Amino acid sequence: MMSNLFSVFDPSTNMFNTSMNWLSTMLGLLIIPTMMWMIPSRNNAAWNKTMKKMHEELKTLLGTKKINNGSTLMFTSLFSMILMNNTLGLFPYIFTSTSHLTLTLTMALPLWTSFMMFGWINNTKHMLTHLVPQGTPPILMPFMVCIETISNIIRPGTLAIRLTANMIAGHLLMTLLGENGSSMAYSMISILIITQIALLTLETAVAIIQSYVFAVLSTLYSSEIN
Amino acid sequence: MLSRFAFRSVQYSRPLMGVRCSQTVAASGERAVTASEERDEVRFPRPVRAEFPDKVRHGFIPEEWFQFFYKKTGVTGPYTFGVGLATYFISKEIYVLEHEFYNGISLFIMAVFAVKKFGPKVAAYLDKEVDEVANSWKHEREDEITSLGDTVVAEKKEQWRAEGQKDLFAAKRENVALQLEAAYRERLTIAFNEVKRRLDYQVERQNIDRRIAHKHMVTWVIQNVLKSISPQQEKESLAKCIVDLRGLAKA
Repeated sequence: MMSNLFSVFDPSTNMFNTSMNWLSTMLGLLIIPTMMWMIPSRNNAAWNKTMKKMHEELKTLLGTKKINNGSTLMFTSLFSMILMNNTLGLFPYIFTSTSHLTLTLTMALPLWTSFMMFGWINNTKHMLTHLVPQGTPPILMPFMVCIETISNIIRPGTLAIRLTANMIAGHLLMTLLGENGSSMAYSMISILIITQIALLTLETAVAIIQSYVFAVLSTLYSSEIN
Repeated sequence: MLSRFAFRSVQYSRPLMGVRCSQTVAASGERAVTASEERDEVRFPRPVRAEFPDKVRHGFIPEEWFQFFYKKTGVTGPYTFGVGLATYFISKEIYVLEHEFYNGISLFIMAVFAVKKFGPKVAAYLDKEVDEVANSWKHEREDEITSLGDTVVAEKKEQWRAEGQKDLFAAKRENVALQLEAAYRERLTIAFNEVKRRLDYQVERQNIDRRIAHKHMVTWVIQNVLKSISPQQEKESLAKCIVDLRGLAKA
């Protein structure tokens, strides 16, 4: 049935040998409610509330520096894209694009690289001072610099892999459980369904939380360079 | 959920049940027919904001789909169609029951449970949010109307005040006219008095001239009479006078 455990994640929706899987990345755009009237509908109101909440959350993280004005826009839209991709991936037959490093690294690496380049070129002293956290005993300082540098460098990796790994883990478990459903006695199927419901609940939560975490961490990294 | 695929004619000729607000034409259902109608309101009616979502059966299938089947197949038509199609796909393995299917079952059960349990609460909360926005628009509109009404009343008052100014002008004009008249009359009396004085002077002069002439004439006459009295006449008159006196003394 499956040559490789991870082959369920391969892009397989083909149209003349081009894989159309990745179109699911843009599927979220169709789900976002649009406004026809000045008075919002229920969906609209829900989406507006979510966006406002995210904006307020990220605003407190960014602080009051003038250079950070408007940054919440990018991170809120990052949040909504990852949220849509994660939650839509839970539905059957919809490809989860965020479970692939190609997508998550594409999001994390340019973000981090641009932050670092801007920070190091424009605020070199500031960045250097932040390599040593406040309150370190002097004897530990050289090691702290080392550690902080390494932790800084692996940041894009952690951002990307955290998201990918969480998505893959959930989907893998669900897939494994589901594969056994076709060869199971009918009495066992109810247990299977109940387990799957539990897993799905967990996964919905994970999907939402992971998108939030990605957005918040990006915000924090951006606020550190000033 | 599938309402976006409902048939167009049904969607747009939906009866206006319980439409609350925001017709694009002014309130209370009266159509403002202007002389130059820019739009044929009968054949191209303006879209109206619906208060409630469209009717769905079983939570996600629009009612219009059932209506579509109703004429030909009656009430059980759509269900027979659905079940038959599903059976065909599954039995011919066009639709393979694999892991996604079982995931789908779990998701479906979860979704039904969540909608049934949390649906009304979430809907009420979201309705409250929507009402807030709708009320803010309504209040803004109403406040604007009241403020404009107040402005109209204030404007009318100002107009009434401005009209009162006209009376003021008339009164002032009259005042000035009166003053002019008084000054004129005063000058008239002065002129009269002066003229009278001059004329009185002339009259006095004439009187004096006549008096002096009269006096002169009397004096001249007396002188001439005295001159003309001869001494003889004088003696006779004197003797007569003495005789008269003696006569009177005896009496």
